[in-house]
Amino acid sequence: MSDRFAYDPDREAKNEARAKALEALLIEKGVITAKTVDTVNSFFQNEMGPFNGAKVVAKAWTDPQFKARLLADANAAIEELDFPPFMSGAEGEHMKVAENTDTVHNLIICTLCSCYPWPTLGLPPYWYKDPTFRARAAREPRAVLKEFGVDLDDSVEVKVWDSSAQIRWWVLPKRPDGTEGMGEEELAALVTPEAMMGVAVVEANPPRTGYDPAAQGF
Amino acid sequence: MKLQHALGGLEGLGPIQGPETKVFVQPWEKTIFAIHVAMMGLSKHLDLKDVPTAFDDEWTWADLRKGAEAMNPFDYFRYRYYEKWLGGISGFFVQQGYITAEELEEKTRQYLADPASIKTEGGDPKIDEQVLHYLETGDSPLRDAAITPAFAVGDKVVVRDIPPTDHTRLPGHLRGKTGVIDVVYDGVYQYFCSTGPDGLGEPMPIYSVKFEPSELWEELHEDGNTAFFADLFEVYLEAA
Repeated sequence: MSDRFAYDPDREAKNEARAKALEALLIEKGVITAKTVDTVNSFFQNEMGPFNGAKVVAKAWTDPQFKARLLADANAAIEELDFPPFMSGAEGEHMKVAENTDTVHNLIICTLCSCYPWPTLGLPPYWYKDPTFRARAAREPRAVLKEFGVDLDDSVEVKVWDSSAQIRWWVLPKRPDGTEGMGEEELAALVTPEAMMGVAVVEANPPRTGYDPAAQGF
Repeated sequence: MKLQHALGGLEGLGPIQGPETKVFVQPWEKTIFAIHVAMMGLSKHLDLKDVPTAFDDEWTWADLRKGAEAMNPFDYFRYRYYEKWLGGISGFFVQQGYITAEELEEKTRQYLADPASIKTEGGDPKIDEQVLHYLETGDSPLRDAAITPAFAVGDKVVVRDIPPTDHTRLPGHLRGKTGVIDVVYDGVYQYFCSTGPDGLGEPMPIYSVKFEPSELWEELHEDGNTAFFADLFEVYLEAA
């Protein structure tokens, strides 16, 4: 094997040291502060995460008029809700929502890299940025969905949305059967980031509910 | 052609590993991510008023993407997502003279020898307030300009095949392909920077263009009822 494909055995230790060294130097030089890294990460852990999108989904499931407004103008509809004032913030300035129905299943991808609606979905998981996913989801979405456990009937149309201009797409999943008695909060706990990207369906009795920052690597 | 941009439809990849649902797979990735966000929030094209940062450059997604596109494509696929960020961002700070390569090496060695020896403190809270302000308000590319879209819903268009420059937002798998305008987005949108002969820079309409899988992938397309939609800047399209 050529050297090009050899990895340094201390790869992660050196990456960590370089990142920490860069941070320390930028603080010394007055570019950022000693609190910048924690400030940014706690914002994404606690404020701008997929729990926001899950609440929007639960609202759309329980309020058909809201759902219609969400599909027509996502940013304007979300601004009606009781959220802190950043739902049209970084990487969510212009969002579009695609609705899954009995006849249409939507999948969002970014073949160029990792475009993603931060205010509603938080930061993209690694698989979304994986070149294998980006390459395969474009040409063989049904096979990819099957690998993720979403086995669609042939009659269901699959729509793949590749975000590479200035719009950030996400998916309004189907409300699962057996959730008729649930309130918005209970419903929101069922909605995963994967469901809002179209690689999962929402289950009425998922193995785990609620948002777990540790599961995202925070 | 840039391999980084011609991923769509690539053959022979096998199953998606994992899938890894974590956002960060190593703790240090949170550090480089936050530094990038801070740079975007402190970029001089924003209205920074009296933010007392030493950062005095423009930094947007375009700058990060240019770095990734300038990489040897085999290195691009060799490194993990945030490893590319670490290389691109530390290279930028050296190139612009904020730090020297020697300083960075020395500090890296120091951390490897004894992480606790690196102490960080201080900095004006106004810097972090501005970074949060950027996250909360964003940096909308929507511009107020009276430009009539060249295409309407239902129009047939061909994606242009513009020679690669240092940066483009045109995916390789769409070049030369024919599609139909599905959505004309309201308003006109500006990209962060000029991409020269590639054509981005001035505000322009953007579209969602619908492609038939058989048009994109020919005999290798997947059977079934499937449609592919791509968001594209107007300059990348011409009438079919």
